[in-house]
Order: sequence, then C-alpha cells, then structure tokens
Amino acid sequence: MPVKRKASSMYHLDVRGGAKVGRDSAASTPGPATPRSIGSSDEYSDAEPSEEEAENIQKNINNFSVESYKAKKTNAVVGRDSASHHFGKNDFSYLSLKPDHDNRPLWIDPHKGRIILESFSPLATHAQDFLTTIAEPLSRPIFLHEYALTPHSLYAAVSVGLDPKDIINVLDRLSKIPVPQNIRDFITSCTHSYGKVKLVLKDTKHYVESSDPEMLQRLLKDEVIGPLRVQGTEDITSTSAPKMAGLVIPGTKNFAGVQQATDQRGSNKPKDGEPVQQEDIAATLNEDDDDDDDADAVHQFEIGDTAVEVVQKRCLELGLPVLEEYDFRNDSHNANLDIDLKPAAQIRHYQEKSLSKMFGNGRAKSGIIVLPCGAGKTLVGITAACTVKKGVIILCTSSMSVIQWRQEFLKWSNINPSDIAIFTSDNKDKFARNTGIIVTSYSMVAQRGKRSYDSQKMMDFIQSREWGLMILDEVHVVPANMFRKVTSTIKTHSKLGLTATLLREDDKISDLNFLIGPKLYEANWMELAEQGHIARVQCAEVWCPMTTEFYSEYLRQSSKKKQLIWTMNPRKFQACQFLIDYHEKRGDKIIVFADNIYALKAYATKLNKAFIYGDTGNAERMRILENFQHNDKINTLFLSKIGDTSLDLPEATCLIQISSHYGSRRQEAQRLGRILRAKRRNDEGFNAFFYSLVSKDTQEMYFSSKRQAFLVDQGYAFKVITHLQGIEELPGLAFSTPSERRELLQNVLIANDADIDADDRGDDMFHMMDGKSKAKAKKKVVARRMAGALSELAGGQDMAYVEQNKIKNKELKRKKGPSSSFFKKMSREQEKRKKALDEE
Amino acid sequence: MPRAIRGVLVECDPSIKSIIVKIDSEDHAFIVEDLDNQTLVIKENMLAILKMRLDEALKETQQPPSDSGSE
Repeated sequence: MPVKRKASSMYHLDVRGGAKVGRDSAASTPGPATPRSIGSSDEYSDAEPSEEEAENIQKNINNFSVESYKAKKTNAVVGRDSASHHFGKNDFSYLSLKPDHDNRPLWIDPHKGRIILESFSPLATHAQDFLTTIAEPLSRPIFLHEYALTPHSLYAAVSVGLDPKDIINVLDRLSKIPVPQNIRDFITSCTHSYGKVKLVLKDTKHYVESSDPEMLQRLLKDEVIGPLRVQGTEDITSTSAPKMAGLVIPGTKNFAGVQQATDQRGSNKPKDGEPVQQEDIAATLNEDDDDDDDADAVHQFEIGDTAVEVVQKRCLELGLPVLEEYDFRNDSHNANLDIDLKPAAQIRHYQEKSLSKMFGNGRAKSGIIVLPCGAGKTLVGITAACTVKKGVIILCTSSMSVIQWRQEFLKWSNINPSDIAIFTSDNKDKFARNTGIIVTSYSMVAQRGKRSYDSQKMMDFIQSREWGLMILDEVHVVPANMFRKVTSTIKTHSKLGLTATLLREDDKISDLNFLIGPKLYEANWMELAEQGHIARVQCAEVWCPMTTEFYSEYLRQSSKKKQLIWTMNPRKFQACQFLIDYHEKRGDKIIVFADNIYALKAYATKLNKAFIYGDTGNAERMRILENFQHNDKINTLFLSKIGDTSLDLPEATCLIQISSHYGSRRQEAQRLGRILRAKRRNDEGFNAFFYSLVSKDTQEMYFSSKRQAFLVDQGYAFKVITHLQGIEELPGLAFSTPSERRELLQNVLIANDADIDADDRGDDMFHMMDGKSKAKAKKKVVARRMAGALSELAGGQDMAYVEQNKIKNKELKRKKGPSSSFFKKMSREQEKRKKALDEE
Repeated sequence: MPRAIRGVLVECDPSIKSIIVKIDSEDHAFIVEDLDNQTLVIKENMLAILKMRLDEALKETQQPPSDSGSE
C-alpha cells in the first residue's frame, strides 16, 4: 500500500527525531521539504495525485495516524494464557493497571487511539467534559462511552487554549493505565503544528498566511500547492499581525459587562491578518523552531477560489492543518450589522457550550455543530450571527425552511425586518442597507444552467460580496458535488454547519472537514433528554411474521417487489392498525412514515386516515397539517419521506415506521427527530414512542439493525416486540381472513412498477415546493422504450376480474351436487336412465 | 387399493413452511400433504435431504453480518 505509507510518513515529518519514526525508512520516503524531481525512485507516490487519490490519502491519514505511532511490540510475551489467542492483535494484557485503577474511569486503546469511559464512575462527568473537548464521541450508550482521538479534535482542543502537556496529564490522571507512549507522541505531534498556516479572506481574495516565511516557501515548492498560487501577484507579502482579547457570546450571563470592553478596543489596529496566539503554544512545544521574534509579522500568498479545498487537503497531508478563522471584531472592511439577541432570549447551556467552541479564542472558527433535532439549532445559528455582526448568508434545504429561518430571526433578535432578505424562486429581495442577512436555499445557489434575469442578478450580487458568516442548515446534504460549488463560489470568512445527523452512507462526510471545518461540538442526546430539552423516547422494533402466502411470493419476486411485499405484509398492517388504535385511545398524536407511496396510500385508505406525499398540493398539505395539530378527531397522519426533515409538528408524540430507505441511519435519526420536540415532553412521566415495524425473515431485518446503529450510539435502546398483546381481539382487524389476505397479495402483485417507483421522487432535501419543481423536471423525459402489456396502453393494468360474493355462491352450489367421482358417475347414470325413460 | 406413505409431521413457522414449499415445487419429492400454515407431512426418507436444502436456503435469505459492526 504505497499511498498509505506515504501518508503516514508525511505525518511523521514534524516529529522526526522522535523515537517512533524509525519505522519508515527515510530513504524510501523523503519528507516534503526535500526538493525532489519527478522520476526519482519514489515517484509512485507523487504521480499526479488526482482528487480521488488525495481523498484516499486523507482517509488513510485518519485511519492510520494513531496506528502509525504504534509502540514497539514487546517481544517477551507477558502473561499469555489459554484465552489469549481469542484476542489476536487486541490483546492488551501487557498494559499494566495502576494500583488504584478502580477509581479511575478511562481505558485507552493504544492501537486505535480510542478512549473508553466508564460512565458509571463518580468521576465520569468530569471526564466527559474533558473528553468532549479533546476527542470525538463515537458511541454513548448507558454504561460505556467510546471516544476517538483525532487530529481534528486535538486541534480544536488546542484552539480553545489547552496545552498538550495538560491534555496528557489529565488523561494520565483519569486513566486506569499509564498513557501509552504512542498516544503521547500522537498528541504532541498533532498539536505542535497547529496554527502554523492560516487561510484568510481579504478583499474577496483568498490568501495562505503564515508567520514563518520558510513555511510558505515550503508550501510554494510543494508540487500540488505551488501551481495553485495566483500568478502575477508578488511572491510573498508581509504585514503585521494584531493581538486579540476575550470575547463574550451574547445571550450568556456575563455578556452585558463585556460590551463596553469591546467598544473600547479601537479600530486603530491593522485590519487584516490574524492574531498569532497559537504560535506561542506551538513554539513552546517546538524548541528547534524559534520563531517568536517573527510572531509580529505575517507573510502570505494568494490562491484562487477553486484551489481552497485542494490546498486545505494538501496541507493536512503535510501535517500542517490550515486554520480558518475570522477575526470579525477587527474587520473594519465589512460594514457592521445592527443585530442583537432580544433580552428575552436565553440560550441553553449546551448551546452556549457549542458556541463557545466556535468563538473559543475571540475569533470565529469554521466548523460544524451537531445538535439533535428540536434542540434549538436555529437559535445557535442566530446567536452566532449576533456575535459576528456582519453580513450573513443562510442556506437551507427548502423554501419552506427559508421562511422559517427568517421568522425565527425576527422572533429572537432585534434585527430590522428590512435587513433580512429572502432569495427563493418567488422572492428576490435585497436588504435595504449596505449589509444584512440573506436567507436562501441550497438549490437556488447551486443551480446550474440558465437562471432568470432577476436571480442571476441576485447571484452576482451574492458572489461579489464578502460575507462574515455562512450558516449551512442540515449540513449533511452539502457534500454532494452540486453543493460543493456553493461553498466555493460564495466568499465567506467563516462557515457554521448545523445538523442533527452528521452521517452519510457514502463516506463523503469526511469531505466536510474541508468544505466547512471540523466538528466543533456534538451534544449528548441522552443528557439533553434527561434535562428535558428534548423528549424522552421509548424505541421499539416490532417483529411481524410474514404470512405463508406473502412469504412464498417474497421468495419468488425481484428485489423491488420484495420490498413492497414486506411492506404490505398483512401482519404488519395489523400491527400498525393495532398500535394506531392503542395510541389514539391514550390520546397520542401519531405520525406514520412510509417510504413507499403505494404502501402509504394503501395503508391510509384502508385505515381511513389522512396522508401527505410529494404530489399532495400545498393548500391540501396545509389543511391536513392544521387539522392534525388542532382537530382532536384527526390523530393520525401518514407521511411519505418528504416529512423526514424540517417538518415541525410538536403535537406528535408517537411515531410508527412501516417502510424505510434501506439501511439509512440518517433517515432513522431524522424521523426520530420529529417527536423529540414534543410539546408535552415536560409532563410527569411522559414518554414519546418510536415503533419500527419489521417483517420477520426478510432483508428488512438486516436493514433495520443497520439503521439503528446511529441511535444506539446515541444511547437509545431498542426493545424488540415479537407479539403485540391483544392484537387478535381488536375489533375490525384488517386482513384477518385468508381470502382477504390473498386479495391483498393479488393487488400488490398487480401494482405496476411505476407505482412502486413513485417513492424515489421528492428526496427529502427538496422538500415541499422545491420537490415539486424537481419532480416536474424529471417527468419531461422525452421518450422511453420498454416492454409492456397492451393492457397498459388500454389503461387496464390496474384492473382485475372480480366477482362479488363469488365464494359464497360457489360454496352453495357445490353443496348441491355430489363431489366424489363415484357419486358423480352414479348421478350421470341416473340422468341417462331418466332420459331414456323420457324418450320412451 | 389404499396406499400408505410413511411421513413425518413437521411443524414450523409460516415463513419456513413457504421455503419448504418452494423447495418442493421443483420436483415434488418432499411433501406428502400440506396441512396448514404451520404443519406439513414430509416423506420420512427425504427428511435429511430436506434439512440440508433448508439450511442452504436459509443461508441465502440471511444477509451476512456486516463487518462494520465491531471493528
């Protein structure tokens, strides 16, 4: 694996001389500082690192960075016993426990850099605070939490002012085992190069900046970064850097007193450049790199807009992560926006914590904040905007949420309504004064091809400006290539991503590190639920056995039909009916989710409930939603996947999922989010319910277990229900007779592919209005050739010959005549004889 | 002339029954009588073969556990 080797050796560069680097022979992988020509013996690693390759390298760094510091294997096998071989490489019995390990809550895995926390320990809360600062939470069930040390998390720790030595000391104090040497090395080397190189935006141009001119020279010599420098600009320019002071986020307790202090700090400081406090930390760590004297001057070179992401990736490979920070208080170039939180707005402690990570050192860092649905992401965004007080652009997933964002801004802040504009297909306002807020949707900005005159003008306006802050709502949709454009065309000083589920099934999530920034904060769902900020949820998986007829058909059909068959399983239908009935009697408001439109309609019409899907008109939607919220006769609502995200229904307290998108963890979490903001969550003993109905013995079981992974990591426990008590006694139970079930099966089998496919339309991100236009555009496909039956042309494909009450009749008929062949023969003979007699 | 076939009464889940019926549908070598959703009479001498075939079929319907699980 040449790529991997290269990547890890690059990473070692800065700790050269450390004990562990010897693993890679210096001859085969020279450091990047060594000038080399293509064609030398190591060109395999240099040959045109395409973007994909670069991504691989990056992934490898993340995967192997800790591992590459692996301690030398102890040759003498200590304490091997009969069970050792079960553990293979994961046998850590050679690690020695501290004598008082009982009182310490942490385990450290020296191979992967994982930290395991015993959350039942008395020290757990303390340890948890510390770990969320220095590491990324991976999994947080009730008793054991798992965290991972990554370069990004360590940078974040340093940027809020933690000293690497302190990190190691505290780890050592909390750990049951002495901190392994390779972990120490990893922490030191990750943190020491932090803050050397910065990416700044000045006058709508991007610059790479460093206080160490040699560093820049090195970057310019790099074969990837070098050519990206904008030609025609002078080589390296120098300016002096300002110093910084503390900042307080509005809405927090000690906000009021600080406002004066901010005012006193005059604007006589040089306007550009970035403060250099990190340098001091880095310098103390790095004795042979004495650049304290240089700290006052910064040097920079310009790069093109499109090159930003590439440079960021490359620098990370070189072990020089690029800092993207915005010193907004010293930015006199961009006009200040008059905005503050209303005095009534109190932000919650976790919101404060997340924002303090963003503004940790008085400047705005780019990054992502992960909060569960319903925990007030919008307010975090608004508070961030109030802190930065510059032009803000907000990107949402749909025109519906565009309007919601604007309303929230007007609700929580004192912004002048004319300063906040909306840019959607129907609305193309600009703000009245020289700066303001624009709310728009991803699809508006990323749209390719020709735009209308108005929107083109608006786009030009957006692109020509410099923005202080870009807020990306539901940021997990961004990595799609189309949205990559968004972040590169709009020039912002800082970016804030907001999401509940930083997950994608396609691994593109790591790209967010470059497109936006590292994960700044991730809330603990369970903790928020305990404090009553989000609802407590009981999760259950209901196993519904397949009936024989359905299962035989399931075995025979193609995969697409299979999906429909397990969704339409009559037992599942009965379970759904039972649960709806049960919860309606308890006074719950129920949402039922079905991905498949055919199933959605079938369920809803059979049970006589309201339903909404992509083709439901806007007025009808509004009417249904209003009825669901206020009418106590309408307690159940069927939703297709358009309801997965950003639909606010605080009345809903129970959720039933009958079909879903394969193994999508994100969808599961987003759907759960629909009931987290339940209005009644603070009632005594209140629980929201989340049921996932699964057909037994089908692939759905497998998908379901996959889907739950995310929620299980957040600490939710899924109960398995194999039998619903009392389901047989439910009056009016659907499909209780075999003949009804057979009829259902026939209908399912007749349902043509077009009906089944219908669910692919209206992906959750083009929710509501946008979904419609998208769907129409798709329909315009010119001609399609396919095999089909003539009945499809005649419009008869949905029809089947049905004879009403035929079974009863036939049963009656049969009773008249004899059924056995012997008696049949007799009756025939009798008849013959009769005829013979008659003829006579 | 009445004929007698030695058979084994098999009780199973409805879904397993469907799989057995599917196996049988190829050459009708197994099932003597299909009684209801959960019971079948199987030819006694074919029982071992049926068990084998059933195991194979079950392997196909079950997804291999994903490797992303623990590591």
